[in-house]
Amino acid sequence: MYQALLTRKYLTRKIMPMLAMVAVMLSVATILVTWSVMGGFLKTLIESGRTLVGDVAIVWPNVGFGYYDELMEDLEADPMIAAATPSIETFGLIQLPDDRIELVSIKGVDPSSYSAVTGFGDTLWWKPIDGPTPKDHDGEDLRLQDENQDLMERVYNNGLRMMRENPATGIDEPAGVLGVEVTGLNYRTPWGGYEPWIGNRARPDGGIDRVELFMPNNGTVGLTVLSLDSNGRPVDPKTITMPIANEFQSGIYEVDQQTIMVPLDVLQRMLRLDAAQRVELVRDDENPFAVEEDPVTGEIRPKMREEIGLDPARVTTVLVNGAEGYELEAVRTRVQEIYTEFASRHKGEVPSAFDMKRQVKTWEDLNRTMISAVKKETGLVLFIFGIVSFTTVFLVLAIFWSMASEKTKDIGILRALGASTPGIAWLWIRYGAAIGIVGSVLGTAMGYWIVSDINAIHDWIGRTTGLVIWDPQQYYFIEIPSDVDPQKALIVFVVGVLTCVLGALLPAWHSARMDPVKALRFE
Amino acid sequence: MGTEDRAQTETGGVATAAASILSVRDVHKTYKLGRVKVPVLHGVDIDVRPGEWVTILGASGSGKSTLLHLMGGLDRPDKNEGQRASIKFEGTELTKQSKRALDRYRADDVGFVFQFYHLLPELSVVQNVCIGAMILHGRIGYMRQRQGTIERATKLLERFGLGHRLKHRPMELSGGERQRVAIARALINDPKLLLADEPTGNLDLKTGQSILDTMIEYRERAGLTMVMVTHDERIAERADRVIRLVDGRVEGVPDSSIMGSEHPPA
Ligand SMILES: Nc1ncnc2c1ncn2[C@@H]1O[C@H](COP(=O)(O)OP(=O)(O)OP(=O)(O)O)[C@@H](O)[C@H]1O
Ligand SMILES: [Mg+2]
Repeated sequence: MYQALLTRKYLTRKIMPMLAMVAVMLSVATILVTWSVMGGFLKTLIESGRTLVGDVAIVWPNVGFGYYDELMEDLEADPMIAAATPSIETFGLIQLPDDRIELVSIKGVDPSSYSAVTGFGDTLWWKPIDGPTPKDHDGEDLRLQDENQDLMERVYNNGLRMMRENPATGIDEPAGVLGVEVTGLNYRTPWGGYEPWIGNRARPDGGIDRVELFMPNNGTVGLTVLSLDSNGRPVDPKTITMPIANEFQSGIYEVDQQTIMVPLDVLQRMLRLDAAQRVELVRDDENPFAVEEDPVTGEIRPKMREEIGLDPARVTTVLVNGAEGYELEAVRTRVQEIYTEFASRHKGEVPSAFDMKRQVKTWEDLNRTMISAVKKETGLVLFIFGIVSFTTVFLVLAIFWSMASEKTKDIGILRALGASTPGIAWLWIRYGAAIGIVGSVLGTAMGYWIVSDINAIHDWIGRTTGLVIWDPQQYYFIEIPSDVDPQKALIVFVVGVLTCVLGALLPAWHSARMDPVKALRFE
Repeated sequence: MGTEDRAQTETGGVATAAASILSVRDVHKTYKLGRVKVPVLHGVDIDVRPGEWVTILGASGSGKSTLLHLMGGLDRPDKNEGQRASIKFEGTELTKQSKRALDRYRADDVGFVFQFYHLLPELSVVQNVCIGAMILHGRIGYMRQRQGTIERATKLLERFGLGHRLKHRPMELSGGERQRVAIARALINDPKLLLADEPTGNLDLKTGQSILDTMIEYRERAGLTMVMVTHDERIAERADRVIRLVDGRVEGVPDSSIMGSEHPPA
């Protein structure tokens, strides 16, 4: 009882507990803000990594596998699977409008089914938008301007179809969709948007051209790939010129900076993965003893006969989107089962189910390195929190120690009046808990407030002090994530309270064990 | 202390102990300051009868406060070879009690008035008085009799002339007023034994006398046993009995005469 009374009095009458409370409040708020923002970024990052992948992928790199139409039919017939799309992933060289040559990852996709499986349509950057992006306070976004609406509508459609009209002929031609950071010619605005490049280009004759380059309008790139024959051996390199239909932003810088998507059939042709006649020389078994002259070497060989077959078109990847309500792993297992059946129908023509076992991957598997990096980062953050909390424990301990020493005489008096050792210890622990609870409540509230208004606060700091901490021009996410996970808030709150109790333990123990006579004589 | 304990010692204990509420035998106390030993008490024997008012006189530093602390179970006597230190309250041997039992003894049976008031600065006057009851009864017990306790505290304070000071804090009171609050606090649990360490030491004669009058009046109504330390011969004169501490011993009176003497309470 006296503990409650004294806790209250000590809390309200002294400056020290106020300081302790503020310390707790600030650490709780800091931890909550850091954790929420960090967690928000990591979540956005992982989600972005998922955008262009779908749920499950069947991957057979380089040579790919045929009969994928049939496989997709099988897949889409299954209730657990919503949609499937074929694609090819390979590497090649890209020649940019300013003649730089870079290594890119080239994805051949079938735009309509690809949109159904992934968030492809949403990642297209150049499209009409309803309102300004969060940091675009003055509505400077080109996509918003009235005079650009027709253009945006057109290039958006082009992007979705992966086609662009050739102005000379008036015919739609297959076109690529470029990662928005690939060319380096899109200027990233301070509010986190893009503006096409307008600039000067040196002419060989010493003159200067003023160029306005909006890739979806008039940009083309050169693409070079090394095609492989059906045995996976490299054949001659092949180069094409490809108009650009649109540009995409997936949210993962590495992807947006080195990926180009091209129509599937174009890439199939370039890589010789398209359907083709297959001419094979086989021994003529009508007359096993007949011989003929080899037309190439001129040597005599057993008589051969040309057999003509059809090599089906191939893809390296089939992306699958699970139906709503199914677990990722369940979908993966189902896809595997469907593939097994498919492979048994095409024995010898497609990779066997056994070989494919490890090649049916979830989006998490595909982004494993990124996710594990994210996890490591989370671990690091938690470690730092640990240290911060630890510091707070010592802070509280120091403050409590000094308060308990200051109150030595009170303790002596209480002991003389019959207060027990545990009673005194409880007084301080209670006191610590009270400071912890008040500090943590305030800190959690403060953290909540800061996180939910973090962008407004950040803008305000930017306006008043000119200090821009989160610069959308440099960072890839325009906004600072502003969601507080209630579970995290609860953890931080509880840890805050425990920290104070922990910090109060030693002074409590010390104070309780003190000889009451000495305490009374304490001046 | 439980009645069972008492019954036990009355039949089996020292005969003289039965007559006294508090009996101190052969108590030694030495303080240790690092390696230096400061002997303070060298074999103190005192008997106090129920309802008796005993004053202890002695020079400064003679160990009066120390003795009071020992009587109140706040400290323990030395445990040396060949000495049989014993402090009995109502027949119960305090030196053999657990810490917890001593806490209980202080809360329930003893009222302490300290030399230097020792009020809790954060609490109001009433709260300072009630704190003893809070400690004694614990949370639930106190909540049940909270109103009664506050009323009793108020009445006590009114009797000490502090009725208008209930909500004040100790800082705002004069020395005499503070001492009266400290006395009221010591009395809130209706103790059997009041241990007062120079309750009037810091006060002028008149204030001191008036405080003393209130205490005497209370003692007579409640049948309280009082052991009071003082420097002041004039106060000592009013007591039932005066004990002088000299050189860590009770002076003049041979042990046997204390034990055998029959001082009727005033
Ligand atoms: N904790 C301690 N350590 C060492 N010596 C102590 C301690 N407490 C008391 N003393 C010594 O014991 C002696 C008796 O102290 P005590 O306070 O009992 O005296 P007192 O008779 O009450 O004096 P006063 O009349 O001045 O109050 C003093 O000499 C003091 O210095
Ligand atoms: Mg003294």
